[in-house]
Amino acid sequence: MKKSVLLVGGLAAMALLPASAAVAQTSTPWLHVRIEEPKKESRVRVNLPLSVVEAVLKASPEIIERHGKIHLGHDHGLKLADIRKIWKELSATGDADLVSVEEKDEHVKVARKGDLVQVFVDKGGKEEVRVEVPVSLVDALLSGEGESANIQAAVAELQKRRGDIVSVREEDSTVRVWIDDQNAQK
Amino acid sequence: MTKLAAILAVPIALLATVFSLGVMVVDVREGGPDGHHFVVPVPLVVAQAALAVVPAQRLPLDDHEALEHLPLAREVLRALAEGPDGELVRVEERDEHVLVVKEGGMLRVRVHKRDKEDVSVNLPLHVALSALPDAQGRISTLRLASALGGLRFTDLVDVRDGEERVRVWVW
Repeated sequence: MKKSVLLVGGLAAMALLPASAAVAQTSTPWLHVRIEEPKKESRVRVNLPLSVVEAVLKASPEIIERHGKIHLGHDHGLKLADIRKIWKELSATGDADLVSVEEKDEHVKVARKGDLVQVFVDKGGKEEVRVEVPVSLVDALLSGEGESANIQAAVAELQKRRGDIVSVREEDSTVRVWIDDQNAQK
Repeated sequence: MTKLAAILAVPIALLATVFSLGVMVVDVREGGPDGHHFVVPVPLVVAQAALAVVPAQRLPLDDHEALEHLPLAREVLRALAEGPDGELVRVEERDEHVLVVKEGGMLRVRVHKRDKEDVSVNLPLHVALSALPDAQGRISTLRLASALGGLRFTDLVDVRDGEERVRVWVW
């Protein structure tokens, strides 16, 4: 009796194995980048499984250190530790316009709306940038210690995210970055 | 008659064994009326045996930065090999199309330059991983030889440029 139960169980497991593999394959998140330059008749599409992005980030901690830490400090005169403190304060405020700059040819707005931090840049219709970052992603990114951004935690958060992250529209080009479960761009 | 059959049986059996273990064929066709045509079949078992006895080769990678990136290359290849299939890169320009697809354990690269050349490369990821040097810049020829053993019925490289053509495949 035990033998036949084991046999049936084994066969059932074998039958289920390919099915579970197929499900895992379709639910793998993919990071997509699309760059289009109509005047140059150029279209670039990059699709990467997030597992590959994660592997890159895990395998290159020095690169992350270099780009995630030093660049922030040097370019903006703001240390990651300071950003972490500011973010902690802002997190408590809920929905709000965080930054609003209105100049003659440029409008910049950074706002928190629900679970998203939204960044809009409009340069007099010539260039439009729209970035949507989940609050949980910023939380994860800033969950590291001292001057280190927690890239691995951020990638883990990205695994849950579906939809547009960045879209840039310029006169001659458009850029779109998003995550979905498709292994190609439609 | 029986003697002749017995004499022929040995080389035929040897040939059959060699071919059953795989043969890598390099086919080079030069353009022009005087162009040459070379076909070089290399039995995989010979290539494997040769690689197995050659000591690990150290690449002339003195550049510390290049060595630093080898672990990253290895992790990327490993993640690609274990990851799902799909189209990784598609570049469409006026005169050039590039396509990189991961299919099974294979990375397929297609480059088409209008009126110029067509390049098709199928890179088995397990071979690429085996060919990657270690942290000291050494290629393990033994590991590479073992990876080659798994190659069968694969078109590795096909480059067409006008009348010239280079093909490498495993039969």
